[in-house]
Amino acid sequence: MKITQILLRLRYSSLGRLVLALLGTVVAICVVLLVSAQSDTYIANAGAMTIAILGLSLLTGWSGQVSIGNSGFMAVGAFTTGIWANHHQSSPIIISLLLSILTGAIAGLLVGIPATRLKGPYLAGMTLAFVTAMVPFIQSLGKLTGGSGGLFFANLSSPSWFANLSGDPQNFIVANYRWAATVSVVITGVACYFMSNLFASRAGRAMRLVRDNDVAAELMGVNLGRVRVGAFVISAAYAGLAGSLVALLSGVARADNFGLALSIEILSLLVLGGIGTLSGALMAGLLAAYASTLIAKLNALFGLNPYSNLGSNSQGIIFGLLLVVTMLTAPQGMAGLLKKISHLRARKEAE
Amino acid sequence: MQISNLTVRYGAIEAIRGVTFTAMPSRITAVLGANGAGKTTLLRTISGLVQPASGSIVIEGVELIGRATDDIARLGVGHVPEGRGVIAEFTVEENLRLGAMAFDIDLAAGLDEQYQQFPVLGERRKQYASTLSGGERQMLAMARALIAQPRLLLLDEPSLGLAPLVAAELMTTIRELCATKNLSVLLVEQNAKGALRIADDAVVLSVGRVVANGSAAEVASDDQLRQYYLGLVQ
Amino acid sequence: MGAFFTSRIVSDILIGAAQGVLVGLIALSLVLIWQSTHVLNFAQGAMAMFAAFCGMTMLEHGLNYWVCVLISLVAAMLLGGVTERVLVRPLYGKAEINSIVVMVGFLGILESGASSIWSGMARQLTSPLSQTYFTLGSKTLYLSPFSLFQIGSALTLMLGVAALFRFTKIGLQLRASALAPEVSRLLGVRVNRMLTLGWIISSAVGAFAAIIIATSGSGLFPSNMDGFFVFGFIAAAIGGLESPGGAILAGLLIGIIQTFVADYLSPSWVAFTPVLILVLSQLVRPAGIFTKNTTRRL
Repeated sequence: MKITQILLRLRYSSLGRLVLALLGTVVAICVVLLVSAQSDTYIANAGAMTIAILGLSLLTGWSGQVSIGNSGFMAVGAFTTGIWANHHQSSPIIISLLLSILTGAIAGLLVGIPATRLKGPYLAGMTLAFVTAMVPFIQSLGKLTGGSGGLFFANLSSPSWFANLSGDPQNFIVANYRWAATVSVVITGVACYFMSNLFASRAGRAMRLVRDNDVAAELMGVNLGRVRVGAFVISAAYAGLAGSLVALLSGVARADNFGLALSIEILSLLVLGGIGTLSGALMAGLLAAYASTLIAKLNALFGLNPYSNLGSNSQGIIFGLLLVVTMLTAPQGMAGLLKKISHLRARKEAE
Repeated sequence: MQISNLTVRYGAIEAIRGVTFTAMPSRITAVLGANGAGKTTLLRTISGLVQPASGSIVIEGVELIGRATDDIARLGVGHVPEGRGVIAEFTVEENLRLGAMAFDIDLAAGLDEQYQQFPVLGERRKQYASTLSGGERQMLAMARALIAQPRLLLLDEPSLGLAPLVAAELMTTIRELCATKNLSVLLVEQNAKGALRIADDAVVLSVGRVVANGSAAEVASDDQLRQYYLGLVQ
Repeated sequence: MGAFFTSRIVSDILIGAAQGVLVGLIALSLVLIWQSTHVLNFAQGAMAMFAAFCGMTMLEHGLNYWVCVLISLVAAMLLGGVTERVLVRPLYGKAEINSIVVMVGFLGILESGASSIWSGMARQLTSPLSQTYFTLGSKTLYLSPFSLFQIGSALTLMLGVAALFRFTKIGLQLRASALAPEVSRLLGVRVNRMLTLGWIISSAVGAFAAIIIATSGSGLFPSNMDGFFVFGFIAAAIGGLESPGGAILAGLLIGIIQTFVADYLSPSWVAFTPVLILVLSQLVRPAGIFTKNTTRRL
């Protein structure tokens, strides 16, 4: 167990976090290169979900503002990327990503400034209003956003050096999948790194203080409004990045993919993983990778036709159930349970 | 009411430890002691708002522990909590009606009786409870508990915050009511002097334990008790 | 005289009022639940939709419209009562975030569940009353028998609920259980039952609104209450969650303002209008326009 202890201790220093992030990314890339192309698509999508989950973890877990508007900001990022990709086919993806982060952040600012003046349920309601209004709004922008059909553009294709590296230069399809997954993993790694730094920084601590006791925070000179809006903006930026990634991976940007159901999915994954801790968010991301496979397997187990009414909605029902059951029985999620177990073990050793 | 070996914990703190005493029917039992001695906790436990760690509370053969608060109230246990618990958003009359709600009583007759007993309430019956003075609120809280014709009345610091004259009047009223209505009263008070004046029996608590238990006269005349636990100096 | 009633402004007001009473009903049901249990029921719209589905799909089996309405209301009351006992009771006293998250999850379950049972297709419900507008001479008076029923029944329902709370024994107990649960318990009031009753009444009100919404044109489909729930929520927030009257008034206003916006500006602004109104009202009076001033306890 010594290695894990050393690794965990690395969390506490900035350099240590960098090492951990790099290590995690490298491990993930190896996994990508080793597994099948099908699994790679799951991993790629999981990366995007993890980024969105991280953003929500920041907003809801650390700054205590419950929001179900995530998917709205993902939509902003996705369409930014889509529109850009349509007009500038050959620009490097990094530009699309950065643009989406920017537009996500701006949208976060616009929504955040009024929203964060509200408390608890009012804030959540406002984010619900945002999400519900977003889908028809985007669809109403006609040509720009492709109306209800959505935008189509080229998705990620592997550069030749990568195809050569990954061992199968003739099979472009596989190389594309691998490339997509690798890109996703790297971006996720970077996002995790930044988030972990934020968590440990003064700003992060200020956020958690505002969540727990805003009167005390104010007395200590923390500007409540700025901290809350800041959390909102960063969370929206992360969501924008996630949306952009989703768009790049699939080559499509459709408004109704980014509706309430997606927000609920992200929220329930986060709750399952554990609100309020970084490890919880990461665990949630891992879950996201397996969610689709698990649900498909469950469907098969019950002999459900995936296109039937029940089959196509089983994902929504399951995520909803997970959310409810987890919140009622283990509100701290898996991360919380693991903490309890390790505490129990520590107590037993002390006896 | 027989309380046996009652222990109540708040987390790791024992608010009440092994408390045992009996409150005789139709008598006023004063429960005295300094702040934090566990007096309010005792009343709240009797009413079922707090569950004890161990012990038993029995009224006329019925065990109270484990029952829901509203059940206990319907068994005939009236409780006027610390701070009166008067509902400010209701009128005087609505507060009284609420008190009668769960019981099978003639509402009109009950209201009349309380208005006779407390004429001030009658004058202000349509006013919102938030407009009443401290003394009037205390009367309202008592009337509200009495309208249900309880057999045991728990009073938590009724004289708190009242001017001495008003408090003294209140004590006299309690004495009268006990006599005329065959009521048993458990009177928690920090104002030991006033309480002992009208009480039949007394129980003194200190840090959750019973340190004295006997007739009011005995307790009132015990110098040690007066000095150490009751804050009464000769 | 006739020209006045068919003028553009009055027409907009009439249409807006018909919409607004529905928003007001939903806002009322939210305020009822908030006042009694301090939970903001995010699943209110979804619960209403689900109950409406239960009853109104019976129309396809030839049952009378009003019988279907009755079935829906019963379904709503059952759903409301069970939800309070099973989902909400364990959450009393816990952090706010818990109840928000649980109700959002419940929302997801209900919508996906409805979609899986009855499919996501919109079903048109044939209205028992005509929906053609009256005419005054050659111009249209923007009221139809159905919209008259809509406004009339909604107002009656609101008055009925208000009367229940103000004048009946049960209403007194309901109010007391919401204002001072502990004291009420000490007085023998069965507070837990009152809380469940609050949910039952509220769910029935919501379901009624959902049925009218579905019949008045948009049809019945799993997400048809999403928009109205948001409007109702915003109305409740603007009116102040503590004031049922304020919520209803805000609902009416939102309905009317939305209609004006759709008519004079553009229909695609309709969804964002209530949000803007909310933001404005927050700047003016953050606690809600009709609440009394309360200080926060530390």
